[in-house]
Amino acid sequence: MASRFAPRLLLQRLWTLRRARPTSSILVASESPADVGGGGLFSPPGPSSALDPRCVSRVFFSARPSALDERQNPAAIDYRSLMSEEEFHNLADETIHDLLEKFEEYGDAIQVDGYEVDYGNHVLTLKLGSLGTYVLNKQTPNRQIWLSSPVSGPSRFDWDVTAKTWVYRRTKAALLQLLEGEVGQLCGEPISLR
Amino acid sequence: MLSFTGKRLLGLGHRVSAAAVAGRGYHERVVDHYDNPRNVGSFDKTDPSVGTGLVGAPACGDVMKLQIRVDEDSGKIVDACFKTFGCGSAIASSSVATEWVKGKKMEEVLSIKNTEIAKHLSLPPVKLHCSMLAEDAIKAAVKDYEAKKAKHSGNADQVEKA
Repeated sequence: MASRFAPRLLLQRLWTLRRARPTSSILVASESPADVGGGGLFSPPGPSSALDPRCVSRVFFSARPSALDERQNPAAIDYRSLMSEEEFHNLADETIHDLLEKFEEYGDAIQVDGYEVDYGNHVLTLKLGSLGTYVLNKQTPNRQIWLSSPVSGPSRFDWDVTAKTWVYRRTKAALLQLLEGEVGQLCGEPISLR
Repeated sequence: MLSFTGKRLLGLGHRVSAAAVAGRGYHERVVDHYDNPRNVGSFDKTDPSVGTGLVGAPACGDVMKLQIRVDEDSGKIVDACFKTFGCGSAIASSSVATEWVKGKKMEEVLSIKNTEIAKHLSLPPVKLHCSMLAEDAIKAAVKDYEAKKAKHSGNADQVEKA
């Protein structure tokens, strides 16, 4: 659909804005065994596909990510159809860089022993001394941002196109709100990340 | 055979580099589970008393298969085994999971939390996701067993009618 004449970036933005919901149906394990199986590694020797998903996974068909229940089978979704890798990197990098800046400013404003913000290899680490450490990274195959929190443990955020935020499906928590709440509480000073 | 073709640590992507950058070693319990993994193996997934939980994706660097054998009368898990493709923490998390589910009732194991596994193994922040995957694997195995049981009893009813 790319027009050769329009600047690529502009086109990408237009495409993102116009898209009301992710295109096409979400592929399910049965159609893309490459995503689920370690191939033949797990199956007993014999016929049948490398990994017969009907035996082990809940199969569900939905065109909208919000309808998917990650609890049932985190691996059964072909996330590549949710957004392109490039778009994911743009979105995720923007979010993470933004957080990096805000955490750095916050660190200057407050007094927490051992406060340190680190960014390397696309991994954002926020150390709060004895209060714990946050790690935020991109999980590109899943189009997710993964967070490890000393308060709420691990969570995985998907981009919610309607809300335009990163949301953890199991708890419906939004990434920025979650961080604001937790970090603000831990350090005793409110922080605004939105 | 998989059987720890994973003697090589195969963590993909940023989790490995983050750990390497931080210069962290694995906790001795993790090393123990890696060197002496408990309950590695496979049950026949078509066996009606077996529940199979398969979670993760190779692209993410972690796949765990956890199987439980349930005693139908007591509802207790009498045996469990696992196979995991992933980093040492993932292997240890799933190994611990198989140890913890043995002898418990199915409802009980659903309350096993990833935080407990992570604490037991002293997992660093960047590896907490492995413990969550192990928790997911347990839940998936229980769900699979129950689904099979329901289907099985559904079929039995039909046979009786005929």
